[in-house]
Amino acid sequence: MRNSFFMILILALLIAISGVFSIYSSTYQKEGVWKDIYMRQILWLAIGLICFFVMSGFNYRKLWDANYFIYGLALFFLFLVFVLGIVRLGAQRWLKFAWFNFQPSEFAKLAVIIFLARYFSRKSVDDTSLLSGKFGIFQGLILPFIFVAVPMFLIIEQPDLGSGIILLLIFVYLLYLTNVRLKYIFTFLIFLVLPMPFFWHFLRDYQKQRLLVFLNPNVDPLGAGYTIIQSRIAIGSGGFLGRGWLGGSQSQLYFLPESHTDFIFATFSEQWGFLGSLVLILMYYLIIRQGFIIAQRTQDTFGKLLAYGISLLLSIQVFINIAMNMGLAPVVGLPLPLMSYGGSSVLATFIALGILVNIDRTRNVF
Amino acid sequence: MQRKDILNLIIIFMFTVLLTELSNLDLLQYRKFRRLSDSNCIRLIPQLGARGNILDRNGKIIVDNKISYDVMILPQELDNIDLVLNKLSRILGVEVKELKVAFKKNFISTSVPVTVAKNIELKKAIALGEYKVEEPSIIIMPKPLRHYPYGTLACHVLGYLNEIDRWRLTRLEDYGYKTKDIVGFGGVEEKYDYYLRQEEGGVSIEVNHRGKLMRVLGFQAPQNGKDVQLTLDLNIQKIAEEALLERKGSIVIMDPNCGEILALANYPNFNPRIFINQQPNILNRLFNNPESPLVNRAIGSSYPPASVFKIVDSCAGLELKKINNSSIFLCQGSTMIGARRFSCWDTHGPQDIIGAIAHSCDVFFYKTGLLVGAQNIHDYALKLGLGRSMGFELPYETSGFIPSPLWKKINKFQGWFDGDTANLSIGQGDCLITPLQAAVMVVPFANGGYLVNPYIVKSVGGLDLSIKKRKLVALNFRKSTINIVSKGLRKAISDSKGTGNVLSTLSVAVAGKTGTAQVPHGTTHAWFVGFFPFDKPKFVICVFLENGGPGYAAAATAGKIIEEMDKQGLFS
Repeated sequence: MRNSFFMILILALLIAISGVFSIYSSTYQKEGVWKDIYMRQILWLAIGLICFFVMSGFNYRKLWDANYFIYGLALFFLFLVFVLGIVRLGAQRWLKFAWFNFQPSEFAKLAVIIFLARYFSRKSVDDTSLLSGKFGIFQGLILPFIFVAVPMFLIIEQPDLGSGIILLLIFVYLLYLTNVRLKYIFTFLIFLVLPMPFFWHFLRDYQKQRLLVFLNPNVDPLGAGYTIIQSRIAIGSGGFLGRGWLGGSQSQLYFLPESHTDFIFATFSEQWGFLGSLVLILMYYLIIRQGFIIAQRTQDTFGKLLAYGISLLLSIQVFINIAMNMGLAPVVGLPLPLMSYGGSSVLATFIALGILVNIDRTRNVF
Repeated sequence: MQRKDILNLIIIFMFTVLLTELSNLDLLQYRKFRRLSDSNCIRLIPQLGARGNILDRNGKIIVDNKISYDVMILPQELDNIDLVLNKLSRILGVEVKELKVAFKKNFISTSVPVTVAKNIELKKAIALGEYKVEEPSIIIMPKPLRHYPYGTLACHVLGYLNEIDRWRLTRLEDYGYKTKDIVGFGGVEEKYDYYLRQEEGGVSIEVNHRGKLMRVLGFQAPQNGKDVQLTLDLNIQKIAEEALLERKGSIVIMDPNCGEILALANYPNFNPRIFINQQPNILNRLFNNPESPLVNRAIGSSYPPASVFKIVDSCAGLELKKINNSSIFLCQGSTMIGARRFSCWDTHGPQDIIGAIAHSCDVFFYKTGLLVGAQNIHDYALKLGLGRSMGFELPYETSGFIPSPLWKKINKFQGWFDGDTANLSIGQGDCLITPLQAAVMVVPFANGGYLVNPYIVKSVGGLDLSIKKRKLVALNFRKSTINIVSKGLRKAISDSKGTGNVLSTLSVAVAGKTGTAQVPHGTTHAWFVGFFPFDKPKFVICVFLENGGPGYAAAATAGKIIEEMDKQGLFS
């Protein structure tokens, strides 16, 4: 019964600790604030662990009730970013607090998952069947999409294309899981794909450039393609065993930009090689697998959908980030959960994992 | 299948994609990426050593190196390119346009210095050095360059330097040669390139993404090339080149006692300096010159030996006992061989061997040749070093050619006639020799019967090679043969009617043989081969003038050389 708790905790800690090592290795030579950035990450991890323990003891059913409040709070913060956001790295994603920057989009993803899980399930403990099978196109598709589209629009407008796309993907996956009719889903996908050329005009220049570069990194080897090329070199030069901790010229000599945030996988891979990366990816897979197992054995539909949503959130983020590091996906600016430097991401992930553990724990109460 | 299972499969598929690409990058393409990673951060800053000097036999410098200066610009330090180039053009006296073109052409990346001007003078370099204080993007790179204090002197022996070509690169790659290397072409520069060549040293440094130095990884001091000392005597070489008087031809002077080449002069010649500046129109003119000034005529081209070849006939006749000291043939100005009349250049009357050599009587040698036979003449020519490559040290040696009946049968499908033998006897027909071979041929008569191995490099990097190269091979001719031919050669000078009588007025006793080679078109080639002083020969000389007229002209040129050498006291 406590298996999933320990397994998820240990795996998450292992990944997070290797993240701290990678952050240290890519910043310890820099000057000023950067030097101690790993200390801050450790602090965030500690806070994250507290959140994890708190959430694992906090009955997730209460989220059902708090659902509108959570959703509203997320929207509020997103709107705040929209209005006040400070410019950083070409993106306005932060709210500046006393000594840290708060990134609402990380929490908004979770809020949207909670909202969707609530939307597609009933409160009644006795009737655990899904509603969506009976839903028409308005209730099954259009209404929930509006609820997703508002935060999605705010996030994309920040601009944070990666998180926006993740919201969309999770929405589609959850629609699929909740037995919404396939023809609705396909209609939705077609309506999504058709106006793509139109959306193109709404993308920022750098976003367009990143997409073009993804198609061919050599278009602009010193500009937008630079990151992909350097990241592939970093991963590839690691070889089988890697160049050792604090070794490797790509991350150590700053050829690799964003080496402690979005491209931390490349930093890790250069130093630990194929073997280390394999283990890392397997650890992520095991956590996600735990999430799926929990979702499958949960009878409560809200818990089930919530567990699926959280696992999907993790897997999509991990996949897109690592694929982007390898040049398989466009550079969209997504952190690697648990590894990348950033308090909001760490906290949101630990909270999500705490909820996951709690779902498994509460399941047995019924 | 339930939807959740399909979802599971999708997740598994996503992770499989990641692992596949991971193995592709880390395992399959590892080498490529490791190399890219290294080239990202490792830079080599080359430091040039100096190429070895080339010295004459007395240690005087024929070729050395002078420091020259290249001007480079480091783009990443640059604020305003136009401003800098304008200033540069004012200091260097070069058009701004040229500098701009050079900058564009040579630009590689912002962290690599771009060469905009090459080989500027010291004065300008100093002026630039002052400007550098306010414009740190300018780099003045000193670099040793070949310096030829004597200009064209001995250019064919030296050769020149140029960027390595494809053909040489494929041959030399295994010895560490790279594209864009500067290597020797022709002469000692090519043959001894491996020793003369400097070893490039340098610092290898690690840089960060901005090209800023992080740390020094290693340093290797550049190594200067080894000096090559030649057997040439600068003074004699100068005399020989001056004596050519800008006439086409070549002069070889060597020491018959050991085979050292003391002078090797050719005309037309070239100035190896023009390969440093690499001006295309000047180079094109040189390469397309119909007079082929790049050819080392003394070893690289062969000519009909004409009367000089009579030395071979004499040896063959005497050695095979077809004639002896007292054999006499009557010269009536011509003789019938087969159905054809073969004429002599003069009517000499009765001639013995010594007289025939002295007067270069054709009839005598027609008859001797017929007695000896073509195959024997061919064999004796080869014994005297003709018709085969000598393995001389300078590149592009040609072997010359001595025809034989067998060769004619195989290649021309024709029989050998007595007329061919007669033609061969006076060194005409298909017979070809190089000036160096002509010189080597008379050596046995100067040193008492030994064939020598001619050589021109005395020592490399201080290591004396002459002991290895000094090879005296006994010809095993009878003493009397050598004596008789020597006497004939001496009489050619001393006799009042001797063909080389012009040399009899010299203070030193000379022996030698002239030759006047008929050519299909144009004036005859003039030959003179000989040695002096006659009693104790120290020098063998061969003067060849391409289309230079009668052999007399060559003898006169030799006379000038010997006179000048005597005047400068070079006989001791």
